[in-house]
Amino acid sequence: MTDVAHMRSRSFSARIAREVLGAWGARIGLGWILLLAAVAVFAPFLASSHPLLLSEAGQIRSPVLAHLTTGDVMMLAAFFGVVLLWRVRTPLYRKGLILLGLVLLAGLAAGAWLKPPQIVIYEQYREAQRAGAYDWVLNTPIPYSPKDYLRDVGQSGLQGPLASDRHRHFMGTEENGADVLSRMIHASRIALGIGFVATGIAMVLGVIIGGLMGYFSGIADIIGMRLVEIFEAIPQLFLLLTFVAFFGRSLYIMMVIIGLTAWPGYARYVRAEYLKLRRQDYVQAAVASGIPLTSVLFRHILPNGVAPILVAASFGVASAIIAEAVLSFLGLGLVDDPSWGQMLSQAVKSSTFNWWMALFPGGAIFLTVLSYNLIGESMRDAIDPYLRKSGG
Amino acid sequence: MSTYILRRLLLMIPTLFGITLVVFVVMAASPGGISAQTLIEGQGLEPEARKALEDYYNRLYGLDDPAPLQFLRWLNNVSPVGFEFDAEGGVAGFGLKGSDLGTSFRYGRPVTDLLAERIPITLLLNALTVPLIYVIAIAVGVRAATQRGKSFDVGSSVTLLTLWSIPTMLAGVLMIGFFASDQHWHWFPTAGLNRRAALDMPFLPHWESLGDVLLLFVLAVLGTTAFLLAAVRLPARYRALLMLVVGVAAGIGMAQAHTESPWALYLLLPLLLGATAAAVGYMQYAGMRVVAMGSVGLLIGIALAIRLGSGGFVPGFLLDRLWHLVLPVVCLAYGSFAFLAKLTRTAVLENLLADYARTARAKGVPESQVLWRHVFRNSLLPLITVFASLLPGLLAGSVIVEQIFSIDGMGKLAVEAVKTRDRELVLSITLISGLLTLLGYLIADLLYAVADPRVSYD
Repeated sequence: MTDVAHMRSRSFSARIAREVLGAWGARIGLGWILLLAAVAVFAPFLASSHPLLLSEAGQIRSPVLAHLTTGDVMMLAAFFGVVLLWRVRTPLYRKGLILLGLVLLAGLAAGAWLKPPQIVIYEQYREAQRAGAYDWVLNTPIPYSPKDYLRDVGQSGLQGPLASDRHRHFMGTEENGADVLSRMIHASRIALGIGFVATGIAMVLGVIIGGLMGYFSGIADIIGMRLVEIFEAIPQLFLLLTFVAFFGRSLYIMMVIIGLTAWPGYARYVRAEYLKLRRQDYVQAAVASGIPLTSVLFRHILPNGVAPILVAASFGVASAIIAEAVLSFLGLGLVDDPSWGQMLSQAVKSSTFNWWMALFPGGAIFLTVLSYNLIGESMRDAIDPYLRKSGG
Repeated sequence: MSTYILRRLLLMIPTLFGITLVVFVVMAASPGGISAQTLIEGQGLEPEARKALEDYYNRLYGLDDPAPLQFLRWLNNVSPVGFEFDAEGGVAGFGLKGSDLGTSFRYGRPVTDLLAERIPITLLLNALTVPLIYVIAIAVGVRAATQRGKSFDVGSSVTLLTLWSIPTMLAGVLMIGFFASDQHWHWFPTAGLNRRAALDMPFLPHWESLGDVLLLFVLAVLGTTAFLLAAVRLPARYRALLMLVVGVAAGIGMAQAHTESPWALYLLLPLLLGATAAAVGYMQYAGMRVVAMGSVGLLIGIALAIRLGSGGFVPGFLLDRLWHLVLPVVCLAYGSFAFLAKLTRTAVLENLLADYARTARAKGVPESQVLWRHVFRNSLLPLITVFASLLPGLLAGSVIVEQIFSIDGMGKLAVEAVKTRDRELVLSITLISGLLTLLGYLIADLLYAVADPRVSYD
């Protein structure tokens, strides 16, 4: 029984995957998100004031590597783990476990061995280079760190894109003189991370609560639906504002909170699916054969009802990214790290309107949200049997 | 029916209780919570003054009481039925009493007064936005569904998805930056709901000479008629040509109006506007084309009248207010419009393919009647459902829009309240917005019965 259900769900998911990947909209969306993921992983090698390689008195060293943080190493480990595991034939959950182990191992190793300097002086390389201390220097493509305010250059403050010849800023600089493109590259980590983690939390909560509601129905359903109603009747943005304003501004708190406020939607979807599926023969058979409840709920029913949840999740990632941007925009976001929404709010706060500070971060938010929406749309089209049946 | 409404209204009470409880728990459980210390933090007071102020706040709002007691007291104050206390704090009686939302910590004013000032502004924004988006969304969505797979459907799908994905902040910032700041086109006001001067003006616009009014009227009518005729009578090619000329002229005019007018604008704007206008002129969808071209004609007429008139025009309070509302309403509307239009398309499409529509066609009912009498009526249900969820969405949207355009509405008040940890204000705003949302659900359920005779609550 398990085997048949498993096979059917696999072939169904394979068909859906093929159909989604065939749609041009989803391809564009996926392409942008993969690009963004690559940019996020390799951010320190793309935009950093520390040169990739430099030769000082015949000695070659790499300041970028010396300044890698534990987070950077973990992201790199995750990236290469995914690339390596891509072709390996093991079940998805085992791949996930291996990946998690790999990332944790990398994090522990990095935490033990890496000792990035506490005080970072961005100007030292430029000054040394000007003084002729280096034989040759290989810089990153964008030789500015997100928090390098270019104090040594003496040109403080705003600059339009490509305004000065000596220091090229492809997307200009912000008020304090930091490079906008570099900030955006490093902020892509926040955007991607918040989307995935927040949606993950919301989905787990939604699946558990919605699943219990749908499977048991009756009194559990009534209580659960009241809870869902309560959370849905508070405007989500307002709940978020309250949470963030009262609990402080940290990236992790924000992820958890966006996840905590987004679960009712998933719970609704999951409940509807479970209500439909719990009377199916294979579920009855699974119950009758004495399989533990969690196994029935999550290994038998869930794979068959997962498609609409994944569609909702794709749109959910988009709205999580927007939620973070809105919070940052309203001045409740991260304090010291740049995020796209915070950069957008900077564009409003300055006394003059500087289009590059609004257009580039805002455009990045827009493209990312559009990508997830495109993927969600094509997934919905792929799993909708009605439109297919009557299509053409 | 009335029993049903009464039951629904009574069912709102536990939900509202739950909502405020959730928000209160969030506030009380947060580090620092709601205490007199957090209220006067950062004011740099002397220790004695600090102590005195803390005591004052504690006495006034009971902030040193345990959290559950605070919540119960707030609940008692808010509910119209509850305990009454005498001066010493003893229970004086139980029964009907006035509902009191308390006094705001920060503003030092009754919350009721604050809300009475702010809510009408947010409601005004939404009252203008909701009908607008429904009309346009239905026009676009129905057309897209009937033209499934054709160029209008594909084009509108892409446009709608794009519009839906544009963050409101980006649209607002760009609009205010380009069309309101004096760096680019200073066409619209940057902030607020009216100019100071407009408060002294009469309500309606008026002109110095009667000739100007006549000129405006004649030119507006002439322009509109000319373009309406062109939209209806001319073949597609000439319509497109006419609109192309208008668009290019508008683009050049816009480039000239720019404060700096760099050469790239002279190239970009005529191209962009010309192409858009030509596409509108070429469009097969008669209804939308007629409306669009008619309003272009009207605008040209008005522009000419302003150019030719002798001046001495006072916009009046109404026009000034409308002028201030253009950008915020556009900003608030486009996202929900896109969402609604997509929904309309799906709903109409589903019903167009349904069996009953085929039956109607088979017995010879003309297609327009099938669409508007049979299919559209059935497609209304999801649109009504969305009305309920649209309202909270718009309330949330007005938080951002009011922040960008500095409009003193409820959204801006909410942000301020949360940022300053104003307990009474936060709870009251939660209560009010929760109430509005639940009322939205109720209205939607009642509208169901109107739209669908199968639904009945008796």
